Amino acid sequence: MTKQIVKRTVDMQIIGDWVEPGTRVLDLGCGSGVLLDYLMQTKQVSGIGVDLEFAKITACVRRGLAAYQGDMTSFMRSFPDKHFGRVICSRTVHELADPTAVIDEALRVGRFVTVGFVNHGFWKNRVNALLQGRKIKNEVYTTEWFESRPANPVSVADFEHFCTAKGIRIARRAHLAGDWHTPCHTLPNLFAGYALYDLAR
Amino acid sequence: MTDDVEVLPSTESARRHLAPGDVGLVAPRDFVSSHPFTFKSGQVIPGFTLRYETYGQLNATRDNAIVICHALSGDHHCAGWHTPDDRKPGWWNNLIGPGKAVDTRRYFVVCANVLGGCQGSTGPSSINPETGRPYGILFPFVTIRDMARAQKLLLEHLGIAKVHAIIGGSMGGMLALLSTIEFPGFIRRVLAMATTGRESAQAIAFNEVGRQAIMQDPAWNRGDYPKEAGPRVGLAIARMMAHITYVTDASMDRKFGRRKKDGAHADAYTFDVQFEVEGYLRHQGQSFINRFDANSYLYITRALDQFDLAHADGSLEKAFAPVDAETLIVGFTSDWLFPPEQNRSLALALLRAGKRASYAELSTDLGHDSFLLESEELYALVRAFLERDEPYEFDYAI
Repeated sequence: MTKQIVKRTVDMQIIGDWVEPGTRVLDLGCGSGVLLDYLMQTKQVSGIGVDLEFAKITACVRRGLAAYQGDMTSFMRSFPDKHFGRVICSRTVHELADPTAVIDEALRVGRFVTVGFVNHGFWKNRVNALLQGRKIKNEVYTTEWFESRPANPVSVADFEHFCTAKGIRIARRAHLAGDWHTPCHTLPNLFAGYALYDLAR
Repeated sequence: MTDDVEVLPSTESARRHLAPGDVGLVAPRDFVSSHPFTFKSGQVIPGFTLRYETYGQLNATRDNAIVICHALSGDHHCAGWHTPDDRKPGWWNNLIGPGKAVDTRRYFVVCANVLGGCQGSTGPSSINPETGRPYGILFPFVTIRDMARAQKLLLEHLGIAKVHAIIGGSMGGMLALLSTIEFPGFIRRVLAMATTGRESAQAIAFNEVGRQAIMQDPAWNRGDYPKEAGPRVGLAIARMMAHITYVTDASMDRKFGRRKKDGAHADAYTFDVQFEVEGYLRHQGQSFINRFDANSYLYITRALDQFDLAHADGSLEKAFAPVDAETLIVGFTSDWLFPPEQNRSLALALLRAGKRASYAELSTDLGHDSFLLESEELYALVRAFLERDEPYEFDYAI
């Protein structure tokens, strides 16, 4: 397995541990449906993914997943309160134009909202910014600034501040070290490479 | 649906039905039901005929059938050629055939002309056994549900135990969706494209203009006209107008722009055909009157207008309650007749009702007719939906 696949799998396993079996799961920015497929097979959830690209919907359908092409906020507006057991926003939050609106809406339609993101405050990123003075490019941030989508990098401290400011309860959190595998218990904003939060209202 | 298909050069044309990936020469058949059929309106006919075509083989477990549902002006001839000299193949030949998205090596494909139609199935142009003359407007009012029930009788007659998928665009999408509501347990998958749960006022309005064009033609004669005559002017105008609703400003501009017909003078003031788009629409109207019955057009557009999934049960979610088929809805960005929002709302209602449903939206500028598009993206999606890992094995032995 390549480093990237290992990283992806770790992310999936933690979310899998948090998901209650048999619940209704909504995956925002589902891509080709790898995570949903895993959750359906291991947790027997009934899942639906939302993505903007036609080809991603095709990939999900090929896996036997249900998927919806369109805007995630307007999708969620079509559902009653707490329709989903869990809404997952895995490695999507940094690409959202209006993260508050999306997470608010996710907390309305879901009992729990799982957010996973790469910690931009990770020490290597800080060192890199200090020494290079350029956009980070490595196995996580793979693109040059001129070929990437607009991103809104977020750190552990940023996210915790967001939750406090918005009165969102953090039901669970998991911080992983730079290998995205070892649990990280000290100074996560500095030493965590990846962070997962389980939110509720 | 529009009528234009590229005409191939004559050297190729003699053998084109033998092309790989083509179902080749096909022949329609008739299913005759001699039991009385009661319409939703309560009216009864003593029996009916559905003309249909099939491609591929029904497997031993009789569950590999794919049912294709046609649109307003379509028919049962959805793939292959009737003769080597045909000007064009069946209307969905690009989608259906050996190795194509709807693979006739795997599936037994069935397509029938709807009840109320005029391409061989019983409709207003059929002979009323009580009078010995065509039914005309004495034919019972037809609904999409009546079409679905008649089609179900054909599928049972063909020995189909379970439908692998039912597929349709536009009115075909309505028929496919309603069939899955009406016959739970019979259909595994439904794929509806460029369709709606009910027509908007605008769509009803366009249909009404078409009907008025027919009924205001003196030759309509309250629906009583000989087979070869009838309201040809009215029907052609109805078709010309409807055709505009199937395409878009952008696609017409690309195809015709303001180009003039050969010999038309730039500054000549005349009401003869000057612009290519006029010639094209007149051709559409003329070719339509040679293959379509005006009364059928009235009946089927009325069935479209009255189709309203939410009405009977109060909401779409309640209407979808019996559905146990997996659903895929496909909308097209430039479809302004049955716009993406109307397609999307079907998928959302199914999801709210706790059903397994997907929605995909293809970017195109071809309008409502986009579902007939030659698009590798669309083919890949259709194939993924039909062929993804099955919980059961296909039987190739037969």
